[in-house]
Amino acid sequence: MTALQSLPTVLRSRRLLAGSNVTLTVLRLIVVYMLALLFQLTFFSEVRVAGVAPELPALVAVLAGLFAGPRHGSLIAFCAGLMWDVYLSTPLGLSAASFAVVAYTLGGITEDLFHDTRIQTLVLVFAGTAAMVTAYALLGEVVGQRGLVDDRLLRVVLMASAFNAVLSLVVAPAVRWALGSTPARSRSRRREPPDAPRKGR
Amino acid sequence: MAVAQRSGRSRYRLLLLILTAATLLTLDFRGFGPLETAQSRVRDALEPVVSAVDVVLGPVAEVWTVMFSYNDLQEENARLRDEVDRLGSADIRSAAQQDAFDRLLDATGVTYVEGVERLTATVLRDSPGNFDDDVMSIDAGRRDGVAPGMAVVTSAGFVGRVETVDAVSSTVTAVSDPGLVIGVRLLDTGDVGLGHGMAGDPTRFVVDAGLRWPETGDPSELPAIGSPVVTAAGSRYPADIPVGRVASVEPAEAGLAQLVTVELAADVQDLGYVTVLLQTPADEAPVGPDSPFPQESP
Repeated sequence: MTALQSLPTVLRSRRLLAGSNVTLTVLRLIVVYMLALLFQLTFFSEVRVAGVAPELPALVAVLAGLFAGPRHGSLIAFCAGLMWDVYLSTPLGLSAASFAVVAYTLGGITEDLFHDTRIQTLVLVFAGTAAMVTAYALLGEVVGQRGLVDDRLLRVVLMASAFNAVLSLVVAPAVRWALGSTPARSRSRRREPPDAPRKGR
Repeated sequence: MAVAQRSGRSRYRLLLLILTAATLLTLDFRGFGPLETAQSRVRDALEPVVSAVDVVLGPVAEVWTVMFSYNDLQEENARLRDEVDRLGSADIRSAAQQDAFDRLLDATGVTYVEGVERLTATVLRDSPGNFDDDVMSIDAGRRDGVAPGMAVVTSAGFVGRVETVDAVSSTVTAVSDPGLVIGVRLLDTGDVGLGHGMAGDPTRFVVDAGLRWPETGDPSELPAIGSPVVTAAGSRYPADIPVGRVASVEPAEAGLAQLVTVELAADVQDLGYVTVLLQTPADEAPVGPDSPFPQESP
């Protein structure tokens, strides 16, 4: 068995990857994230409201935390932040750390509460984006980046979070599709064993 | 039990991710070459796609910009008409000022970047992030001879420095960035100091290190309001690039130092084209407003 052939086996045996369509899920996530990144780099570098653009990489990270849970969501958010860092003037790893921590926390807090309704998604995306942008700015100041925490931080946090909440109406279905999830199922239901008796029958 | 194990594994994974991020942060701060090369390669690989998407979405973004900045454009148009009228009536005065400026240049030996190879570049796009207002991308990169640290100017004066360089594009940190420290010389007094941009005001620059308040307290020893400020010979950029004009002079550090506010010569917002001075920057220790100023100030 070659090393390439054995890799998925090893990963599955360690439960880092589960299911047969992992590669497809990863590919779909890459496609969705790259589209979001391209929109952020081009369209939203021009289109701003009150000088503030949405944070599409953060949006994908928040949705990953909500839909995939703290374990996988934090990893997806980390990768999303790392790719975003490549295009920012701040040091590599700043967004990655902020996104991973917030996605983990958000995924953990809402694990048994999130029911993937539109209003819940809107509220949680707003809160999650606000937490990510704030964490990014605070962590940046801690590591010596200047000009991240100033009097416009609150405006940026509120505007970017509101922007992301609205855009989640479009991006959430895409992330849900990438993760192979459906809106009808909440995570608490998905965690039930497949042969569990269904209520009402 | 299973839930506890899963939770433990999640925390373990998060810890690993944070440690990875901390390692990357440390390596990036230390200027670890392979990491910068990897980032540059990623940007290079995606640049054709980004440019193509930019071409497709650019007109849509333009429509948005025009829709929501129509009133601003009208106001700017009116302001520019007023300015044209004012300039028309003041051409004699400006000619006299130009003559005085030329004589000042002759007297001080200022030569605005003579003998330095130049490259004109187009500003591709502003920063994609919400915290990088003072960063822009230009369409010149490694293949054009651009290197990190090179000065970027317009005909008005200093615009910024090249920060990261990819194969066909680069990012430029504008002079308005509070983190970009520049050695400047005040032509009126000959004093040399260190300055940086002011947060929240892209038109101002403050010189807050290296300028002593006159011991005699004589205001005539202070730089005159409106006098030119240029890059210093000891800075990492070519000397005598116009930075701006003195807007105000205040005492600082209990009256021992000068705090000079400068009105920037170049408008660093909405730039279309810039010129990169292809002179390899002087290799010097990083300096900041909090660092001790070099002793060789005149």
